[in-house]
Amino acid sequence: MANKGLYNSKFEHDACGIGFVANIKSNKSHQIVSDALTILENMEHRGACGCENNTGDGAGILIQTPHEFFFDECIKHGIHLPPYTKYGVGVLFFPKDIRLREECRDIFNRTAETLGLEIMGYRRVPVNTDGIGPTALSVEPEIEQVFIACPDHINNPDDFERKLFVLKNYATHTIQSTVRKDAIGFYVASLSYKIVIYKGQLTSMQLRNYFPDLSNKKIVSAFGLIHSRFATNTFPSWKLAQPFRYIAHNGEINTLQGNLNWLRTSEKGFISQFFTKEEMDMLLPVVDESQSDSACLDNMIELLTLCGRSIPHVMMMLIPEAWDENEHMDPAKKAFYEFHASFMEPWDGPASISFTDGKLIGATLDRNGLRPSRYCITTDDRVIMASETGVLPVDPKLVKEKGRLQPGKMFVVDLEEGRIISDEEIKSKICTQKPYSEWLNKYKIRLEELPEPRVMFTHLEHQQVFKYQKAFGYTTEDLDVLIAPMALHGKEPTGSMGSDVPLAVLSDEPQHLSSYFKQLFAQVTNPPIDPIREKLVMSLATFVGNNGSLLEEDPLSCHCVALRHPVLSNHDLEKIRSIDTGIFQAKTLQTYFIADGKPGSLQRGIERLCRYAVDAVMDGFEVLILSDRAIDSEHAAIPSLLATSAVHHHLIKKGLRGQVGLVIEAGDVWEVHHFACLIGFGATAINPYLALSTIRDMKISGRLETDLDANHLKKNYVKAVNDGLLKVFSKMGISTLQSYQGAQIFEIIGINKQVIDKYFVGATSRIEGMGLDEIANETLIKHFFSFSKKNIPIERLTVGGLYQWKRKGEFHLFNPQTIHLLQHSTRMNDYSVFKKYTKLVNDQQEKAATLRSLFQFKNKRPSISIDEVEPAENIYKRFATGAMSFGSISWEAHTTLAIAMNRLGGKSNTGEGGEDEIRYKKLPNGDSMRSAIKQVASARFGVTSEYLTEADELQIKMAQGAKPGEGGQLPGHKVDDWIGRVRHATSGVGLISPPPHHDIYSIEDLAQLIFDLKNANRDARINVKLVSKAGVGTIAAGVAKAKADVILISGHDGGTGASPMSSIKHAGLPWELGLAETHQTLVKNKLRSRVIVQTDGQLKTGRDIAVATLLGAEEWGVATAALIVEGCIMMRKCHLNTCPVGVATQNPELRKRFTGDADHVVNLFKFLTQELREIMAELGFKTINEMVGQVDYLERRENITNPKYLKLDLSPILYKEPASKFTGLFKSEEQDHGLTDVLDWKLLKAAEPALEKKEKVRQSFKIQNTDRTTGTILSNEISKKYNAKGLPDCTIHFKFTGTAGQSFAAFNTKGVTMELEGDANDYFGKGLSGAKLIVYPSKHAGFVPEENIIIGNVAFYGATSGEAFIRGKAGERFCVRNSGANVVVEGVGDHGCEYMTGGTAIILGETGRNFAAGMSGGIAYVYDVQHNFDSLCNKEMVDLDLIDEEDENLLHNMIDKHYQFTNSTVAKFILNDFENQLKNFVKVFPKDYKRILTEKKKVVKVK
Amino acid sequence: MAKPTGFLEFTRELPYRRPPQERLNDYNEFVDRYTPEKLNEQAARCMDCGIPFCHHGCPVGNIIPEFNDAVYRKSWKEAYDILISTNNFPEFTGRICPAPCETSCVLGINQPAITIEEIEKHIIEIAFDNGFVQPKIPNVRTGKKIAIVGSGPAGLAAAAQLNYAGHSVTVFERDDEPGGLLRYGIPDFKLEKWVVERRIKLMEEEGVVFRCNANVGLDISVNDLLREYHTIVLATGSTIPRDLNIPGRDLNGVYFAMDFLKQQNKRISNKAVQGDDIFATDKNIIVIGGGDTGSDCVGTSNRHKALSVTQFELLPKPPENRTSYMPWPTYPMVLKTTSSHEEGVKRHWAIATKEFIGDEDGNLKALRIVDLEWKFAHDGKPAKFEEVAGSETEIPCELALLAMGFIHPQHEGLLEQLEIELDERGNVRASEKNYHTNISKIFAAGDIRRGQSLVVWAISEGRECARKVDEYLIGHSLLEAKDQNILHKI
Repeated sequence: MANKGLYNSKFEHDACGIGFVANIKSNKSHQIVSDALTILENMEHRGACGCENNTGDGAGILIQTPHEFFFDECIKHGIHLPPYTKYGVGVLFFPKDIRLREECRDIFNRTAETLGLEIMGYRRVPVNTDGIGPTALSVEPEIEQVFIACPDHINNPDDFERKLFVLKNYATHTIQSTVRKDAIGFYVASLSYKIVIYKGQLTSMQLRNYFPDLSNKKIVSAFGLIHSRFATNTFPSWKLAQPFRYIAHNGEINTLQGNLNWLRTSEKGFISQFFTKEEMDMLLPVVDESQSDSACLDNMIELLTLCGRSIPHVMMMLIPEAWDENEHMDPAKKAFYEFHASFMEPWDGPASISFTDGKLIGATLDRNGLRPSRYCITTDDRVIMASETGVLPVDPKLVKEKGRLQPGKMFVVDLEEGRIISDEEIKSKICTQKPYSEWLNKYKIRLEELPEPRVMFTHLEHQQVFKYQKAFGYTTEDLDVLIAPMALHGKEPTGSMGSDVPLAVLSDEPQHLSSYFKQLFAQVTNPPIDPIREKLVMSLATFVGNNGSLLEEDPLSCHCVALRHPVLSNHDLEKIRSIDTGIFQAKTLQTYFIADGKPGSLQRGIERLCRYAVDAVMDGFEVLILSDRAIDSEHAAIPSLLATSAVHHHLIKKGLRGQVGLVIEAGDVWEVHHFACLIGFGATAINPYLALSTIRDMKISGRLETDLDANHLKKNYVKAVNDGLLKVFSKMGISTLQSYQGAQIFEIIGINKQVIDKYFVGATSRIEGMGLDEIANETLIKHFFSFSKKNIPIERLTVGGLYQWKRKGEFHLFNPQTIHLLQHSTRMNDYSVFKKYTKLVNDQQEKAATLRSLFQFKNKRPSISIDEVEPAENIYKRFATGAMSFGSISWEAHTTLAIAMNRLGGKSNTGEGGEDEIRYKKLPNGDSMRSAIKQVASARFGVTSEYLTEADELQIKMAQGAKPGEGGQLPGHKVDDWIGRVRHATSGVGLISPPPHHDIYSIEDLAQLIFDLKNANRDARINVKLVSKAGVGTIAAGVAKAKADVILISGHDGGTGASPMSSIKHAGLPWELGLAETHQTLVKNKLRSRVIVQTDGQLKTGRDIAVATLLGAEEWGVATAALIVEGCIMMRKCHLNTCPVGVATQNPELRKRFTGDADHVVNLFKFLTQELREIMAELGFKTINEMVGQVDYLERRENITNPKYLKLDLSPILYKEPASKFTGLFKSEEQDHGLTDVLDWKLLKAAEPALEKKEKVRQSFKIQNTDRTTGTILSNEISKKYNAKGLPDCTIHFKFTGTAGQSFAAFNTKGVTMELEGDANDYFGKGLSGAKLIVYPSKHAGFVPEENIIIGNVAFYGATSGEAFIRGKAGERFCVRNSGANVVVEGVGDHGCEYMTGGTAIILGETGRNFAAGMSGGIAYVYDVQHNFDSLCNKEMVDLDLIDEEDENLLHNMIDKHYQFTNSTVAKFILNDFENQLKNFVKVFPKDYKRILTEKKKVVKVK
Repeated sequence: MAKPTGFLEFTRELPYRRPPQERLNDYNEFVDRYTPEKLNEQAARCMDCGIPFCHHGCPVGNIIPEFNDAVYRKSWKEAYDILISTNNFPEFTGRICPAPCETSCVLGINQPAITIEEIEKHIIEIAFDNGFVQPKIPNVRTGKKIAIVGSGPAGLAAAAQLNYAGHSVTVFERDDEPGGLLRYGIPDFKLEKWVVERRIKLMEEEGVVFRCNANVGLDISVNDLLREYHTIVLATGSTIPRDLNIPGRDLNGVYFAMDFLKQQNKRISNKAVQGDDIFATDKNIIVIGGGDTGSDCVGTSNRHKALSVTQFELLPKPPENRTSYMPWPTYPMVLKTTSSHEEGVKRHWAIATKEFIGDEDGNLKALRIVDLEWKFAHDGKPAKFEEVAGSETEIPCELALLAMGFIHPQHEGLLEQLEIELDERGNVRASEKNYHTNISKIFAAGDIRRGQSLVVWAISEGRECARKVDEYLIGHSLLEAKDQNILHKI
């Protein structure tokens, strides 16, 4: 979609609810169809609607061809249908416009004719548009079914299906390139003899009524596959509804761009026995890139399936399990995955997929298993599989089995055989159909096994190293700050306090090309991964060589070099250079250009390189090594990123990329980001020869203080790079290097379209910038520095100045002058000094640091007097300070901010560290230390019912500017008694914040958390904090639809927390881009009036705030400037606890040095407001509201002279999205949070005596999956009245029967007991704050409770106290981040007790893999009858101990209670044989926790 | 940063100084070196700040955290390389700089600052000890000839830098030895002259030509210079002292400080002294002017064994600590007690001299003085004064030394002959951006351009000016500039 603003349709995401119901014995019935629709309707809350309640995002159903029904219908049209399998049915979406429609039909008919297919006729599908929203109706297609006869000569129905595939693709391509496009277009929803799809832009509730067909009793099917969509956009599009022809997808393909590139590169060579050459040409391109990621995946599956692989086989290829480094995996299966990996990269991303080819129906989950999939098998042969349990009411007596799909596993119902095939059976069948392991042994080349190279590598000596370092732009900082720590400690270095240097494109310093590339990251629509604690799903394996043929099973496909990771030592590289297997050789190409500084020289260099590359591939080489070693005074190196991407894309264009591996031998690669960029743009492996030589040189010259030898240091460095790469992938939610390769997960800022379109095809770059000659120039500056003909002895590299302010280095907005003036002005309460400060910051004429500095205000009307502008007091309340936790900053610094903001009526933020309740009481002088904003971050430290109740605003931190997509860690030595108490943790024990919220893996999950929090405090605004990146506007639209009240767009440059250096510098975008995109997109979607938009990120002056307001923010956050006013001097040592001014430290000695004062902070905000009001007066705005989004009051600054800045096109930022006068441009209406009908109102009424008089109450209720977040409003009311103490135990006892919806008993507090007979969905007991929960299956259930799933994934996430007894098993991530609840359960899935810091978990059954990952506190007891727990536990942080006496008592007590409450047979068995059974218990005891407990015991004894 | 907690473990310590009683008997330096352990501890105190205010406060832009770290790691060559990349003459600034870096040291917010100046001195002296300091002789000569007039710190710095760039540099000095105030202004007890000579010798080995006793405009014609050289850098300093024109100014015994100090420097070097001998021995000395030159007069007078030494300052007595008007990291006008003060002096503030009173022979015998009452402006600075009625007294004095600063460069001779443009203060007009005067071939650096200032500023000016001269001659420059990446404008 051509666009003047920042919105781009390719940023859209969707997520959803999926499910199916099938009769295992293949008995077709209308009931199945009707049940499927019921499932859909019961997942209404997982879908969404846009600006209108009656326009949905999409819903649909896929069923088997209802022959009887069609036969009847066709008769009415005078068509006599042949028997089933002898005709195909297409569901076609036509334009409403009759002329366009008939044009489409003509082409479709002619295409069929060409293919020898007879069109028997069309049937207009009756629809009922009652109650369908106007937006959806505005682009409603004309839906028709077409009936196509199977030609007589085709006997095999599968061959007929392939013909229909050709017809579908060819007709679609032809129509799309011929017929004028309108908003509706032409689309084939399905075309098959086996299946038919009914779908549209509808809500889940509308589907049944919209298609009267679906209620026709003659519509029968053995299964119904349904999908309910929640999209971030609201632009109407019917064809984006699912299911697609083969799948319904809940998830997101993160690596789509790369997958499509790889597909394109192999497409040209497609050969299949199932299609003629001519047909193959008609099929291409297989994937229409303008559609959604799920649709692309569907196309891919369709192709691979129709080319002869079974659909489970195809699913295994595209969404493989985590096989690399998995020692437990069956060798045959591992061989299967390894073989397929050498030519097919995973389509990576969180995914739950239901698939069908019409004959079998199944489901699979990606390796991370982040989407829920629950199934139920009944005694009457039905299988119900859905994102939630309880979506189809089933008589408990009929239930045979209740389970869940596990990560990487598959579940197949073979309708022809009439049985369920297990994951093991189906996979073992597929893995043994070809001798994959033999093929691998024969053809796969392992680097370790390669012979020694012909020529050995020689080291660069000191003077050469120095010369190369100069030529490639190394600075002393790169050596000391980046490379040295990596070599010494094997870890990427950490920094603090964000980044205030110019964007690469604004900097005067010659840049590394990769500095223009910003890493993208996951937020909201998919989760980032924790690559450390969940490394079992991560893989760095890569394959160098020919990809072979995709459509055929060819043993030679795996003839390539397998690498365990992509960083090659010099020795490894020489091995590859010398390789010769007879049919496998490598070719080295030099990447230079002539250093004459003339326009076009670089381009000629690249063109020559691309030509040589093509020649080399044509000459049969399997590996191309791009090397920049051979530079000299006349020949400069092409930046390796440019060379790599240019060759990669050139070979793609020529269809040759798949035939070679690209190995990069480059001097300009030293930090993790450089490696990530190269891999992201197509490199297969990298040899950073100069970085390695630098380490050797630093060791020899004594610059590294260490006893380690140079080889060890280099190994450390490679390890740091590899770990860093995993972090980069995982922040985008990508698990494998293979799928990251070529995936282009970056936004480029400051490179022009010509360069992008030619060398970085498909990458995002929105504001233009440098061309090739400018890039050449930046390279040559460094080149000439090295190859200077001058004779000045230069002994030093340049200083850099990125990580530390340096006079000769990069410009910083916070510099000695500005810090001094800011501190001085606020301390002296002197506005004139403050103006000096703002002048220095605002006036960036000579040195620009920010995009906003390139704007100027545009006076469009007479100025007004400042007295006419709304008073400052009105404006103060729009300010917030940043989210900094007590723990990251000192008590003094934290409370000073809170007091200041409370005096002003603004808001301070708790950060993610909880809040001490002493702050809820006012101080004697009337001040308050209570933070109005309570943050809810991934670790949920101290998030209790009381904490939530005490908030004016609840902020869900999806990402933070300094390190979007990453988690954090508070080392044990920073957790003192106080911080430990506030965070509900043990002092001295380290605390980990996971990268994702484990209850937000997708947009519908976020909607659920918003709902939870709204239940927990109905008066608080819900704020969702996002970080600026390409596509953040689309995400914000989704968040607005998920019912957030406030959306915060954080700039990349803010952030005070400690983060890896590469994240501070290279992830995220400035807020100007994100904010403008957000405002534009929200206005476009008519959602802007529902939310407040807030922005932060290095806001320093009133002018900054005015610009932010004009770009669309009505509230603003200021963090760094406020800290500076408190005395911070940008030490950037927050992570070392040595802050010398007592701001970011917990050291009591240093805290005494804190000199901040709330008055000074108040002055800052007064001054900011004053400057803002001056600007408002000048521009003629009386109020902030009328100013929001009036971007036409900004224009590009006139006096820009710097040629680098002139190349930027700022118009997309300054684009004003047209809006009618009815479209609100600022928050003016309240969200409907849907609380009116929740079950809690009944609970509240029943609990009245308890609430009022603390009387005991007991009552029963029915419950179903649509009753979500039960008990939370009740607990909120208790907390309001009784604070953290709650009510006495068991004051309220409610019993529920049925299936509970998500977040049952979330944040339930003391005095509440919730008893559930039935089962429950995800997030059971989330944030439990003292309540007691009891669950057991229906007393009538026919199954064995301990073998079945009773509660869903992520139970007790962030629980702080309380008890629970669960008869039956729980899903994945049981007790994740539990910090105080004591629970008993009878089995758990993968990642149990992850990141737990307190409480007790007793597991009376099996656990999944990776148990106790990141567990630093609390204790788990596992009843390990199989004695295999040892291999399932992640023992990095825990010991497996024997049970001692104390444990015995605790176990007996808890298990006894479990038996009392749930009547558990397991508990009974154990209790009856307690002494013996104790031997089967393993105690999982975190090491640090044990140490601290022992120390504490000692202290007690001494006393 | 090698030791993140160094600043919590160690406090500021200066090296051993010989006690005043002992050092007053000679003219030698009196500050020892640190022991290696102490030096290591002092360097370990550096916090390697995210914003090193010291680096900002230093006029030549010394990269202080980097060299502190190298010192901590005992990586002496590296420390030397870092230091010499910004400062040609650390052996001078390491001894006599008032160290604005230390007043802007972040540790100084609530702790005593790092001993940056001492560390600087140690780096360069250790470098000399270890033979790291070798003449750097350019491989290729550009063929461009440059004349530098004046061999003070600005002229020397410009000469050294331009020589590195391959130009042929000749330095003209009207005195008999190069060095300007370094040679004949600063007393030996603060800077022993072998230190200056060592540097001059090194520069000569590098190819810089010094022509002493060559007073351009007097002995050498300006036009010859303009003809022979591609560029001229004026670096003659700000030499005209501020006078005190009150009754009795022409009495015997009233001298400018510089006359007094220069004589003593010549004496120590066994050079002939021009004019009358000025001795403080057995006299009551009054030094008028409370600055560094005044302090040098105090130190020298005490070594002459004066009967008494008194120092007057017009301004009121400054506070002992920073006030809110002079917050960190600004250079604070606080009470400064120099090593010369430690050796014995009576100091008076807010005092004005009304008259020099002579005896019948025309020799000074007393000063008539009056107390002042100051009014302060809203920025806390003293703004106006009034004499305190009835406070006039006389004070005996046989030698009065005027140390009230310098007002501008000498105009007569060279500058007048050139008819060069001056600024409103009488300094040569040239901007700090390009150091170029209104005459195309002529540049100016140091006090002649900037007005009286510190040695470290003179070095800075010489270096920055050299880069501009190099750019002027060649089109671009690879000479270091303090606020710019060397890669700019390649």
